[in-house]
Amino acid sequence: MRQRDARVFALTGATGFLGSHLMDALIRKGRSPMILGRRREGMSLADRVAALLAWFDVEDRGALVETAEVDLLEPRLGLERHQYDALCGKVSEIIHCASDTRFSERSRREATESNVHALPGIIRLAKDSRARYFHYVSTAYVSGPGPAPEAPIVSRTFSNVYEETKAEAERQVAARCSLQATPFTIVRPSIVYGDSVTGRSNRFNALHYHVRALGLIRDIYLNDISQRGGRKSREIDIHLDADGILHLPLRIFLVRRGHVNLIPVDYFVAVMLSVLESPRSGRIYHITSDAPRTTEELAAYCERFLGIRGIEMVYGEGPNGGVQNPPEEIFNKLVRPYLPYLSDTRSFDRTNTKSLATGFSAPDLTYDVFERCMRYAVRADWGNGNGKRDAGVSGASDRGEREKEETENGSVERSSIGRNHSYENRGAEKGMRRHR
Amino acid sequence: MVTKVDEALSIAGNCRHYAMCKVDFLGTGVCASGIERGYVSFYPEGRMDLYAALAKGKVPVTEKCVEIAQSCDLCGKCDYQCCFVTGLRPTRVMEALKSHVARHLAAGKPVAQADADPFLQSIRRIVGDEWATNDRAIAVTYSHDPSPLAVPALPRYVIMPGTRQEISSLLKLLGSAGIPWVVRGNGTNLMGFELCEGAVIDLNRMKEIEFDEKSWSVRVGPGVAAFELQREAAQRGYRVNVAEPAALVCGTMMCAGIVSLFSTAYGSCADNYIDAEFVHTDGSFFSLNKKNAPSLFAFDRAGAASPGVCSSLRVKRRPMTGDESGALVPFDSLEKAVDFSRDCAMRRIGLAIGILGPEYLSSFMSPTQRTAVEVKDALARKLGIVCMVLVLGDRYAMASLKEMGHPMIGQDLFKVLSLGLPSLGTADWLEFIAGLPEEEPFGYLKGGGFTDLAEAALCPSASRLVRDFDPDLRPLYEEIYSRPDLTDLVWLNMFRITSSRIGREKQFFPFLMYLPLDHTLIDDVCTGLGSIALRYALKNDLGFITPVDGGKRCVLEYDYFLTRTTEMKWTGYGRPRLRPAPR
Repeated sequence: MRQRDARVFALTGATGFLGSHLMDALIRKGRSPMILGRRREGMSLADRVAALLAWFDVEDRGALVETAEVDLLEPRLGLERHQYDALCGKVSEIIHCASDTRFSERSRREATESNVHALPGIIRLAKDSRARYFHYVSTAYVSGPGPAPEAPIVSRTFSNVYEETKAEAERQVAARCSLQATPFTIVRPSIVYGDSVTGRSNRFNALHYHVRALGLIRDIYLNDISQRGGRKSREIDIHLDADGILHLPLRIFLVRRGHVNLIPVDYFVAVMLSVLESPRSGRIYHITSDAPRTTEELAAYCERFLGIRGIEMVYGEGPNGGVQNPPEEIFNKLVRPYLPYLSDTRSFDRTNTKSLATGFSAPDLTYDVFERCMRYAVRADWGNGNGKRDAGVSGASDRGEREKEETENGSVERSSIGRNHSYENRGAEKGMRRHR
Repeated sequence: MVTKVDEALSIAGNCRHYAMCKVDFLGTGVCASGIERGYVSFYPEGRMDLYAALAKGKVPVTEKCVEIAQSCDLCGKCDYQCCFVTGLRPTRVMEALKSHVARHLAAGKPVAQADADPFLQSIRRIVGDEWATNDRAIAVTYSHDPSPLAVPALPRYVIMPGTRQEISSLLKLLGSAGIPWVVRGNGTNLMGFELCEGAVIDLNRMKEIEFDEKSWSVRVGPGVAAFELQREAAQRGYRVNVAEPAALVCGTMMCAGIVSLFSTAYGSCADNYIDAEFVHTDGSFFSLNKKNAPSLFAFDRAGAASPGVCSSLRVKRRPMTGDESGALVPFDSLEKAVDFSRDCAMRRIGLAIGILGPEYLSSFMSPTQRTAVEVKDALARKLGIVCMVLVLGDRYAMASLKEMGHPMIGQDLFKVLSLGLPSLGTADWLEFIAGLPEEEPFGYLKGGGFTDLAEAALCPSASRLVRDFDPDLRPLYEEIYSRPDLTDLVWLNMFRITSSRIGREKQFFPFLMYLPLDHTLIDDVCTGLGSIALRYALKNDLGFITPVDGGKRCVLEYDYFLTRTTEMKWTGYGRPRLRPAPR
């Protein structure tokens, strides 16, 4: 008889997009994740996790989940000695999913804190708990330009602060784990969207965000046409065609032809579970698509879904000071930080990932999958709380949330440790909470 | 069920005494009987107070009460004026007042005669029979101030002198009889200083405005309101630094100095006038330019007696160039806004500078309270604007401002936003814009396309802007909002006709102080005042901060908003010892 897997996975970033899906998958497999995180905006970690369990429809398995409010930047994760010791006694593997995903230079300090400075504490936990493995969720884009092997980073060229800090984090994970003899893996997903089968998502970033932005621009001009006879629309040749499609001339300026490497979250989860099932220390796994869509294909998806036409890719040096119409100006500002990912020509080596299971490939992002995901987003009002919003869903446009969704190492109030817990009063286990 | 009496009392109770019904700020005219009879009792503000007093049985129907009620022809001008800034419809109170008095007369009930008073006859010999009274219907309209700190007092006499000689004779007479007196402006004073049990002297008849082209000054009488003077000055191509439109120029200049956003360039207090003439409390005359004149700058912590009554003021006129414009610079922190405004002031960029909080901005811009709430939410929550710095200046100042490189809302975009306010609250695209991954907060404002995009999205129009008003008011308001002035940052700040909207929801109580223009200190002060307000569950917000003295100091206004829950009442006519009414 096969013995039940009793490993307890300590999981950071569980209130973010990837982490929450991973938490759900672990629970469904009967595992007992220990969620490490913090309270936010007056909501305890336990309550935040409970909302997510409801969204995943697994609240009945809440008893499997424990939470501990921690501060990754503090010694002993901000816990009292006895709390920390109790935590160490429980954890058998660690999945570090928390991350600050902001790109902008002005977020450098926060990104460095979250992605780099928070590492020693959580890696130290791996040592103190004698964890069997430390799994680090990175990004496929740390590899920099050129071929992307499933190997330690060589490149020192990065597109933004996010890539740079994640690359530094990978180096530290490898160095620190090796030093303390903790086996580790690094997984590198590309850009993740919703569930390819159900279309569901509890975050509406990246792909969703761009589609929503185009939808909002469309609505602005449809409004102008219906309310004021298209006074502003006419100035830039926006009009309704005879077939009811909105003609919306919008050039997107890209440096070169390329593709966008997108994977659905269900694929990310499947690969992660396989990694957890049979990890190989020091291995790096690319969770990417072998058949990335071109920007033109994605633009066509958007046009079809939104009922617009007129999106055009312009390759080269950008507008070069030429006049852009207002939608172009705004949309290209939106796109600017993502340009490296829209004109990607990299091919990601997937040898290690494919070795996990035969035929392990990301599902194709067909129009059907795209439409399913976007329809779900529309029903959920893009997480704005105006539509059929599910508990635990956050809007892509929630101010300050969009790019910082998975950060879990902020400066949690020390006094919050130990509060709001309903876990049996076992003294040393104060600060942790088991969901019931 | 809300009765007409209840409704009228509610409207009357919400009059803030800002006296906007006494100045023709919309160009729709002012209550004719008010202009003719002078007493505030004949203006909508006073009639509302009178009705409230009658309905609550505080005063009987008197001869003057009948005259006040019957002199209202229900022309509706007060609705145009009052609703524009406060959302109130005073005409409903006027109807109730007329109806109350008509029923009283129809029932054959007595009309109270004013008490026979030999001293009143002495006063009337100075100012004329028409301009002094002890009629309680008039007195009651001079008896209270909505400010929570003001203690009501029913005056024995209300007097309206027409010349400084009459003021002189009056002060001698009142002094010899030991009757206390106060001089009243247009009816609101934070401390209730315009209230008195003796005589209230109302100077509203003294409305002289004499321009002296050679000395770049204008001599104004003590009854001239800020709007009236600014309008006259603007017609001649000048500007004056004055307070809120209905504030009397002499009164505010002498009591509070003049603090406006223009104080950055024009200074405050004595920076704005050349001379002031006074009637001393003993009836003699003096001017501030005389060597032996009292110093208005002497400061006595214990409080000094008033040196007399300001009977005229020679105000400096300021030049206007034809190229003035304005811009609002948004900030995501007060610290950055303070530093920016200091930078502008030190470099002498701009005529007027002010850091404005979202409450201030949204209240001023929004025609209705509902819109104000939505606009504040859009500015603060959706766009993440903590405050904006308003800068007015000529084209060179505007060019410098642009060169400083901050994202800003220029005049064109301000017009779009002003007329597109109704769509702002429901604009999903705002959050998308705010979430643009810019290296600089509000960087989206830098592109030329944002104004066009906003125009397409908001569909700005005067007719949509006024749709929340009652249908009978909409055509006029649409015409008013279609005027360029109403979306012109320079005009709006010169005339400040929407400033009294700050008290539209609740009575507001401002704290004004001079402080070093230091962001740490300012943040401490705001945090401290905010925490005190929170302790008492008071709505509160930063009002404005204006740099003065070349950016070394500033004038800061922090506002509390409150509702008076305890009604004050007198214990007897003529001896109005007041105490809170039992709950």
